Amino acid sequence: MKVLVPVKRVVDYNVKVRVKSDNTGVDIANVKMSMNPFCEIAVEEAVRLKEKGIATEIVAVSAGVAQCQETLRNAMAIGADRGILIETDAELQPLAVAKLLKAVVEREQPRLVILGKQAIDDDANQTGQMLAALLGWGQATFASKVEIDGGVARVTCEVDGGLETVLVNLPAIVTTDLRLNEPRYATLPNIMKAKKKPLETVKPVDLGVDVTPRLTVLRVEEPPKRQGGIKVPDVATLIEKLRNEAKVI
Amino acid sequence: MPYAAPLKEFRFLLETVAPIGELAALTHFAEATPDTVQAILEETAKFASEVLDPLNWPGDREGARRHDDGSVSTPSGFKAAYETFRAIGGMGLPMPPEFGGLGMPRSVATLTDEMLHASCMSFGLMPMLTQGAIEALLIAGSDELKRTYVEKMVSGEWAGTMNLTEPQAGSDLALVKTRAERAPDGTYRLFGTKIYITYGEHDWTENIIHLVLARTPDAPEGVKGISLFVVPKFLVNADGSVGARNDVRCVSLEHKLGIHGSPTAVMQYGDHGGAVGYLVGEENRGLEYMFIMMNLARFGVGLQGIGIAERAYQRAAAFARERLQSRDVADPKGPTVPIIRHPDVRRMLLRMRAQTEAARALAMATAHAFDLAEAHPDAAIRKANQAFVDLMIPVVKGWSTEMAQDVTYQGIQVHGGMGYVEETGAAQYYRDARITTIYEGTTAIQANDLIGRKMAREGGVTAKALIETMRAFVAGLESASHAHLVAARRRLAQGIDALERGVDWNLAHWKTELRACYAGSVPMVKLFGIVCGAWALARVAKASAERLDAGDADRAFHEAKLATLRFYVDTMIPEAIAAAEVITDGAEGTLALDEAAF
Amino acid sequence: MRCLVIAEHDNQSLKAATLNVVSAAAAIGGEIHVLVAGENAAGAAQAAASVAGVAKVLHADGPAHAHRLPENAAAQVVANAAGYTHILAPATAYGKALAPRVAALLDVAQVSDILKVVDADTFVRPIYAGNAYATVKSSDGVKVITVRGTAFAAAATTGGSATIETVAAVADTGTTRFVSAEIVKSERPELTAARIVVTGGRGLGSGENYQKIIIPLADKLGAAIGASRAAVDAGYVPNDYQVGQTGKIVAPDLYVAVGVSGAIQHLAGMKDSKVIVAINKDPDAPIFSVADYGLVADLFEAVPELTAKL
Repeated sequence: MKVLVPVKRVVDYNVKVRVKSDNTGVDIANVKMSMNPFCEIAVEEAVRLKEKGIATEIVAVSAGVAQCQETLRNAMAIGADRGILIETDAELQPLAVAKLLKAVVEREQPRLVILGKQAIDDDANQTGQMLAALLGWGQATFASKVEIDGGVARVTCEVDGGLETVLVNLPAIVTTDLRLNEPRYATLPNIMKAKKKPLETVKPVDLGVDVTPRLTVLRVEEPPKRQGGIKVPDVATLIEKLRNEAKVI
Repeated sequence: MPYAAPLKEFRFLLETVAPIGELAALTHFAEATPDTVQAILEETAKFASEVLDPLNWPGDREGARRHDDGSVSTPSGFKAAYETFRAIGGMGLPMPPEFGGLGMPRSVATLTDEMLHASCMSFGLMPMLTQGAIEALLIAGSDELKRTYVEKMVSGEWAGTMNLTEPQAGSDLALVKTRAERAPDGTYRLFGTKIYITYGEHDWTENIIHLVLARTPDAPEGVKGISLFVVPKFLVNADGSVGARNDVRCVSLEHKLGIHGSPTAVMQYGDHGGAVGYLVGEENRGLEYMFIMMNLARFGVGLQGIGIAERAYQRAAAFARERLQSRDVADPKGPTVPIIRHPDVRRMLLRMRAQTEAARALAMATAHAFDLAEAHPDAAIRKANQAFVDLMIPVVKGWSTEMAQDVTYQGIQVHGGMGYVEETGAAQYYRDARITTIYEGTTAIQANDLIGRKMAREGGVTAKALIETMRAFVAGLESASHAHLVAARRRLAQGIDALERGVDWNLAHWKTELRACYAGSVPMVKLFGIVCGAWALARVAKASAERLDAGDADRAFHEAKLATLRFYVDTMIPEAIAAAEVITDGAEGTLALDEAAF
Repeated sequence: MRCLVIAEHDNQSLKAATLNVVSAAAAIGGEIHVLVAGENAAGAAQAAASVAGVAKVLHADGPAHAHRLPENAAAQVVANAAGYTHILAPATAYGKALAPRVAALLDVAQVSDILKVVDADTFVRPIYAGNAYATVKSSDGVKVITVRGTAFAAAATTGGSATIETVAAVADTGTTRFVSAEIVKSERPELTAARIVVTGGRGLGSGENYQKIIIPLADKLGAAIGASRAAVDAGYVPNDYQVGQTGKIVAPDLYVAVGVSGAIQHLAGMKDSKVIVAINKDPDAPIFSVADYGLVADLFEAVPELTAKL
């Protein structure tokens, strides 16, 4: 079974981003970039499926600037067999990415696509579901456990307040949540081997996809700063403030 | 505040003082392409930050423990961290591919080692010692010894230790007493006590391979009568599997000022009939082999100094940004400000940062020379680089570890009372750093090596050549337009002049006033360190100025390099000039007081 | 303009998040309709009809919606999407699984997790884990939106009198089958993952007082419990309760510090909490300098009162 794992290059999760002074976005020039942590979990899950003899080939795919090659190499160091870069300098929004991935899926014919549930930059949490819709496939989102049994994936999903288990016919989309697995470190020998694995580059136009953004970012700003603290006279006022002002209880 | 490896700086050093692209062009290091190296550094950085750094403080509190049966356990989490390290393939990074290593250049291993020591020095010691033991076997071991041990050590399956010190034989290894008696089968039986054995016992690996200095019964007195032996904790069967327990035991662990997570063992050999040992190389040549290996071990301790200094700086800088105390001296009615605003806190932080960066740049220049000395096709280039390495080893070891004392001291000072209590972690760096000027040869031992073996023995040829190289670099700054580089030029020239004064004085008085030369030996290490560090830092800053001129987008990074150089030359070169004066004028006073009057 | 709110419900009643979404729809303007897709969900449809501000309820009832699978729910939304300018769902696991699917089927973008409605096309949403807020404008004819519940007040559950229109339920897409649900018992959440944290300091005076004062408040709030270094050192609670530089670093929505003075190493472990409450009898305690709401009071009186009144 072939597994496709889309991976995204994002600002490293340890970097505390700063909003640009002109409010056009966040300053990501010269900051460390890494694979989106949820995508890492997706790659790890695919590699585990391969180690169990279920997956036969893992294809990592990324869309974006040329440097996404590093992210693909990283995926290959963890265990993906080859990489596909859909190279573009254009801004890519989830719907466009889903369409690009659909084109890759049609070409590669994987039985399973595992994606991170969201990217830690735009926090959209959309691409997997959109891809499932475009393909007409079933989806299992926020997975914390994945078992493949013949033509079906049995997936335990994180839902509000607990877990839900579903059976999804293959081919299917799975999106990963934090508890699904703990990604391994790429071994140094595998980092060196990854350099020799095949990496193919295509352009959105080769896939016949229009990636024009549908959303325009008008402004990016710092979240409101914590207001100067106040002293409350009594317990009743405290409860009132927590309920109606802070809205935390 | 978690450790974040300075990856951007690492990358820049690999483009400037230790150009990795130049190495990848050599067949020997063809695999070490810049992108592969970057991926290796990033993965190691992740391991250091996510796995090792969180173990550092709890490991200090818990410490290593010896149990009644002689077994030793390390702090919670250390063993699991080692499993990960081993799985990553960290042990084999700089080791030869024919034994399962990755064959990465020293300049890459220098950076990965720094990250291990910065995040958890107690942990980093184990790979450091194991790699040292591997080196010794590679240098002098028979094919059979290599076949039996090296591959399993490179994979990290087995650990290694270095057993040199005995209660009466510390810096002076001529006093080693451990006996090695020949057995009829060609092996030896060892009897004696070794102390300060780092990771002499632990439960991380299936076997521990001790490399032990000992004397055969008919060996000559002194340093020419010491042989080197392999003594495995478990004997190895013919098929490579682990067999019977050897007669070597950990009889106690030391209670130390720092590196509590690292077990420092007293090892007893031969209490039950003799520990089986295998001769490495030839009899009586043990110290010779050790000294070849010692280069790397000393360099490695220098990296510990740099790593822990980096960590102390990061923590202090983070604290200074957040700690609100007092108003800006120029705005006494203004609000309470983070202490980083206060000029003296800036001075302390810059002193930490600049010395760390200078020591790192010098270590990387040295590492690059290591690599060229190993792999360059041109014999003359190999030779010149080896000479530079040999000269720099005592400087990198001696000066980087001494500067780490200053940096970790300043780290506490920035924290004030919060640094003196253990909780901020600043105090641990100060305690952990303290050993680095002692083991693998105290600073004075490095200093003796520098002025004796590395300078006087060859009439100062390499030192003088280095001075000329540095002068040529300064001359090349003639056209520099960046204000900080212009200012640095004058200071660098002053520093190089001071170095020359110190070197010349020493060489001139070597034959006539030997005790006076030795009285200024440690100041000589400092003089070399500060001036060569300035040169290395300036090479990096010069590249930064060029990048800025070329419109590099990361202005903040490059401007910081130039500002750091400016601080360094303005505040540290005066200390170098003072050190030169101590060398030229200080001996009389140092030697005047009668011994009985102490 | 016309908004379609996708209700999250359990067939009998609406999930609370639905009410916040109705308020977000009200902020956009225009008529508000609610889609209740379920099986035997008349109760939920009725509940939706009485929510203030709702003009019409579309009730799709059928076995395809028995377990609210997003494949079927999305098909239902798309089948009934004609005439709506905005389709809104709560930013819950249910809404997040569903809304992107709807958007893709309609070939429009989806706007996730909105905090604010600027105008009918423009919304504020968090990016980079809330470290920045982006104002985004959609150029699509239909806006598919998920709504962060806490950013909008809940609409009143009464006062509405919407008509309920039954619409044909879609057939099961057949790609996915529900197996089981396991709703976690509300055990005490883990310290670093909890939405609310209550910590006790040395002001408590003893481990017994910690049990007597802190635990009931934490139980009431469904909060994780922590302690200052001083309280740990004094032996009130085990070491793994410690919040601070050398203990756990927490950043919950609500942090309640009881009898904690606020030593700098404690502040380092909790200062990123969204809302901080401090209860301490010393008005000069440093904890008040970071607290959003400070109550200068004897904790032995104030905390039991707080627990009782919550």
